[in-house]
Amino acid sequence: MGGSSYPPLRAIYKSTERVDGMYKYILGRLIVLVPVILALTFVVFTIMYFTPGDPTAVILGNEYSEEASSHLKAQLGLDKPFFVQYVNYVAGLCQGNFGMSYITRAPVGQQLSARFPNTFKIVIAAMVFTVVLGIPIGVYSATKPNSVFSNITMVVGLLGVSLPIFWLGLMLILLFSVNLGWLPSSGMDHGFKSIIMPAVAVGANYMANVMRTTRSSMLEAVQQDYIRTARAKGVSRGAVIRRHALPNALMPTITVVGMNMGALLGGVVLTETVFSIPGTGRMLVETIKSRDTPSVLGCLVIMALCVAISNLIVDLIYAYIDPRIKAQYKKEVAQ
Amino acid sequence: MIEQTAKAYATRKEFYRQFGRKSRGAQMRRRFLKNKTAVIGMILFLLIVITAICAPLIADYKGVAIKQIRSERLQPPSARHWLGVDEMGRDVLARIVHGARISLVVGILAIGVSLLIGGTLGALAGFYSGWVDNVIMRAMDVFLCLPDVLLALAIVASFGTSQVNLIISIGLAFTPKMSRVVRAAVMSVRSNEYVEAARSIGARNGRIILRHVLINCIGPIIVQVTLYVANAILTVSALSFIGLGIQAPTPEWGNMLASGRDYARDAVHIVMAPGLAIFFTILSLNLLGDGLRDTLDPRLKQ
Amino acid sequence: MDTLEIKNLVVEYTSDDETVHAVNGVDMVIPSGKTLGLVGETGAGKTTTALSILNLVPEPQGRIVSGEVFLEGGNILAMGEKQLQAMRGDRVAMIFQDPMTSLNPIQTVGEQIAEGIQLHRKVDAKEALRQAIAMLEMVGIPGDRAMEYPHQFSGGMKQRVVIAIALACRPSLLIADEPTTALDVTIQAQVLKLINELREKEKMSMLMITHDLGIVAEVCDEVAIMYAGRVVEQGTLEDIFDNVRHPYTRGLFDSLPDIENRRTELKPIKGMMPDPTQLPPGCPFHPRCDYARPECGQSMPNARRLSNTHLVRCHLYNHTTEDMLGVKADA
Repeated sequence: MGGSSYPPLRAIYKSTERVDGMYKYILGRLIVLVPVILALTFVVFTIMYFTPGDPTAVILGNEYSEEASSHLKAQLGLDKPFFVQYVNYVAGLCQGNFGMSYITRAPVGQQLSARFPNTFKIVIAAMVFTVVLGIPIGVYSATKPNSVFSNITMVVGLLGVSLPIFWLGLMLILLFSVNLGWLPSSGMDHGFKSIIMPAVAVGANYMANVMRTTRSSMLEAVQQDYIRTARAKGVSRGAVIRRHALPNALMPTITVVGMNMGALLGGVVLTETVFSIPGTGRMLVETIKSRDTPSVLGCLVIMALCVAISNLIVDLIYAYIDPRIKAQYKKEVAQ
Repeated sequence: MIEQTAKAYATRKEFYRQFGRKSRGAQMRRRFLKNKTAVIGMILFLLIVITAICAPLIADYKGVAIKQIRSERLQPPSARHWLGVDEMGRDVLARIVHGARISLVVGILAIGVSLLIGGTLGALAGFYSGWVDNVIMRAMDVFLCLPDVLLALAIVASFGTSQVNLIISIGLAFTPKMSRVVRAAVMSVRSNEYVEAARSIGARNGRIILRHVLINCIGPIIVQVTLYVANAILTVSALSFIGLGIQAPTPEWGNMLASGRDYARDAVHIVMAPGLAIFFTILSLNLLGDGLRDTLDPRLKQ
Repeated sequence: MDTLEIKNLVVEYTSDDETVHAVNGVDMVIPSGKTLGLVGETGAGKTTTALSILNLVPEPQGRIVSGEVFLEGGNILAMGEKQLQAMRGDRVAMIFQDPMTSLNPIQTVGEQIAEGIQLHRKVDAKEALRQAIAMLEMVGIPGDRAMEYPHQFSGGMKQRVVIAIALACRPSLLIADEPTTALDVTIQAQVLKLINELREKEKMSMLMITHDLGIVAEVCDEVAIMYAGRVVEQGTLEDIFDNVRHPYTRGLFDSLPDIENRRTELKPIKGMMPDPTQLPPGCPFHPRCDYARPECGQSMPNARRLSNTHLVRCHLYNHTTEDMLGVKADA
């Protein structure tokens, strides 16, 4: 069978529209992100607005007087009604203006751009550490479900998800900084060395989680009927795992990796506190304590944005891997 | 004939006895008890609960847990102070034991709050679907953009850090997740035939939700609740650790770690004890949750 | 040469505390170019027998305890993994019961058909795909749908894809494991016709697993009736349909509604399949058998040859080849 009577390959590939519609989808998702961020700023803004206490008292400190307070309120627009304040804030946000810190009197945006890179580095390092270790270990342990190695990974995984980040951080410092003197105990001044411990502390839970998920979804995938179909075709055990089981099993893993981005950012608050790292997490804690509303808002908006974007990325990877989901997207876009 | 049969097997237990089958409850119990990790988790958790309940019997709160004896500061574990003495001269064991009460109470009540609010919202969304579902879940999606620790942080910041406020804050922070879990569980059950059957004989919605839907989706919810209690306890201590939760001198594992960390170099026991306390509590609940999942859904068991 | 010969195959599944005796000594032969129908209730061991032919009994629970499976003279159970892989999909292929779950959801159907071709024909990806498209057309699916995913096809179409995968390398033996059970009645006939036509065209032998005697009558040359992991009666279509000997086979026919005489009552076989973890002693069918004799509960009957083609495994025929089903047991 020469196949000459069948359409040429190029035509077939074209008809699949592998990428087409994807851009539209991404654009659609980004547009949906806008109301989400708006709603979120509204919630956070509301929470902070109704926080008891007079912000001007925080700003003025010892120089506080009735007159100075009302003057400052007018200057900061705090005398305006709630909605006007909110609209003003959002209007500023749209121009990249996060407002002025009550405490330092510097623009919040400046502070954020100085601190966020540190947080970002730790998050990325933790993610890489998680994916590079968690997924292979999970897969390997699933291919030999009754082996000693597999049992050990299960136990370690269970211990791993139960470790409190801040305690693990303290223990790491005691071991690697105080006793062994290998790694710096705080700050970000030592480049890559500074990132290792905070990333491991914040990523340990996460890695254990990813490993467990990978293992169980892999175990489930190898029991599917299509694995049997592939084996019946004559595909070898290893190739079946690589080509058929793994791509299907990775879906839940990707969900865990992406959806736990939030947990990772929550953990960053702790790891930055433990390791005294000047990042957004510690900035958030400090500014909450000092009631510096614009800074708090700024931190939360940035972090929420990170979560939303990582969710979007997960969805895109999903759509790339799973044609069923892509088909759904196309339908959504068409509507 | 049928009536007679019905009378003969008036109770379900009797029916099962007659046919040599164990009731569903008994089967579950057996499966749970066969699961070693689950049993270990449950025993561990019960021990912690009992310790928390008996805390005043183990150590007096005023007399020991918050009493500072300056001369004994940083003493290592000894016969008199099993877990040593902290940086303020307080008995660590007493503080751990009393700390268990706070962690458990706040953790469990917080999840109670989230179950009440999130559970109701999730059940409504899952059962009615359509616009109700859309409105509720889109709102929850917004909150899900903030990690629960951060959400709890923000709410605590505005409410203040009393114990009640912590419960409410953490409860609210877990509400979006909880609503998702309940919604998913309800939706998976809603479309089953027996719900259709109940509807076809004219049962009202409220009755269907309570009698048929919730009863049958209780399994996955219990599993998640167990795991969320673990998370909530972790959140309490995390908030206390960064100074936005339970405040000293009230003993809480997180704030014990925070105040002890500067002395850890010379007196490891100060950070060891509360850390392990948190660890074992979380571990027990994780074991229990995993075990329950295997018991309630044997399909997933590997 | 016979395409397939199975001798005394025994397969067990073991779990924590029990052993499922799925196949307990099956013998069967499929002559070249013929179709053997394997009939039995759910749990009789049909699928396990089929998987044994591919040596794909799910491990580690399943285990081929003993027996021999000869494919065109070569013993499959003695083959190494490499040889097995070369054999699977090339010389023996299988169509599975449920097309909904038998296809990998995240690969295009073209890729899935091409995979086997590429493995066995040693051609490059493009050529494999070209041949896959030809296969699609052969099973009645337009070739330009090759780059679509399983979810874009209906159940019947998916089963056609599964058939295309199975036939891609022109195997000498095709195993069809209840290929129409999961399909709509209207589609069933189409799919069955397709399988039969392709089989004839390619001159393949076939093992058709089914519990539908109607399908057997339509496509099979020979029939083996399976009960509790054993073949209890085997013969040509005429042997089984016109000269039923085994009480179980009789029961299967009596369970069918008679379209010509709808007044006759259905006579279902009483009782249920025995628990395969605890098979009754003697003939496993005796607790349900209307003709059971004392020896039925004591010893397993041997397979007895009634004619050149007709085999039966029942104590009723220890001393005779006459039809004993008219004679009720007196004990």
